[in-house]
Amino acid sequence: MGKIVFAAAMSHVLDPDYYQAACGLSGRRKVEACMAEIGKLGDTLLAHRPDALIVVADDHLNAFSFNAVPAICVRIGRDVNRMIQDEAEAFDKVLDGMPERYALHEELANRILEDGLGAGFDLALSWEAPIDHAFLSPVMTMHGARPVTPLVPIWINCFVAPQPTPARCFAFGQHLARVVARSPWNVGIIATGGLSHFPELLLPRVGESDVVFDQKLLRWLTEGEHEPLRSLTPGELDKAGEHEFLNWMALIGAVTPARADVRYFGELGRINLAAVEWRVG
Amino acid sequence: MSRYAVNSLLYRLKKDRVFRTRFNVDPEGALAGLDLTDAERAAFLARDMQRINALGGYPIS
Repeated sequence: MGKIVFAAAMSHVLDPDYYQAACGLSGRRKVEACMAEIGKLGDTLLAHRPDALIVVADDHLNAFSFNAVPAICVRIGRDVNRMIQDEAEAFDKVLDGMPERYALHEELANRILEDGLGAGFDLALSWEAPIDHAFLSPVMTMHGARPVTPLVPIWINCFVAPQPTPARCFAFGQHLARVVARSPWNVGIIATGGLSHFPELLLPRVGESDVVFDQKLLRWLTEGEHEPLRSLTPGELDKAGEHEFLNWMALIGAVTPARADVRYFGELGRINLAAVEWRVG
Repeated sequence: MSRYAVNSLLYRLKKDRVFRTRFNVDPEGALAGLDLTDAERAAFLARDMQRINALGGYPIS
């Protein structure tokens, strides 16, 4: 019987130069401190010798376009390329030194997709979508120079309204847990993004975060109080700048009712950085 | 508000170098035929990203 052996969520813009430019030297120091904790989470993950790592993250209209914006999309196939852009955002430029291709756990991804469709989740699939900083910055911060665990990238539409609801993302996470439980594999799962930034996606509000909302979420996570999370609305997440918490909701559904430990929380004003690990052992 | 037209235009301006060059050379021509309101068209011609955002443009695109 398979098992989720590791679960963590973390911010995904992990670029000290970017934060130094945007937030000064304290920005650099805070993201470096956050990255150090994410590196330790990588040690924990790899100590479990996982067969696969599910990565739940969002697209920034890089992999997808207005041609189609999937609510939830599972990347299938044998491998995935990192995104290469001519005019990449600063925090996507950090991908340039990373390997160009990553192995996928093809069979786990197929089971998530096929069993999901059978269970009523109308999932999108992709054979070709590349992965950007939302996936690779956390994955590579965790692995460093070590071989990368076979990945199962999953996108959730966090930004283009109407997004899937927090409750639906939680239910999808429960589906992930069922698939893993029926499998023979030890699986790690991470969710990336957040915490609060860019409320309402309004440019005049760039620079604002919502520490009170972040702390409320973290308190529910550490106390294992998942019912209030399922009742969150997309509107609440939008107002607080918690769009990417939808990724976290899928992870929470996968590990519920496990409690979490906050490994890092740092206020930058522009965004609040976080790294959280769940007690799934 | 023409949510699709605004956002697909933002997307093309970011991702499509040929279209971006055309917009820089002949902005009115590049926007001709697009389903934009007068306010949206004016915001693009003024390159006013704050106004485009206020009119429903996703800054992530």
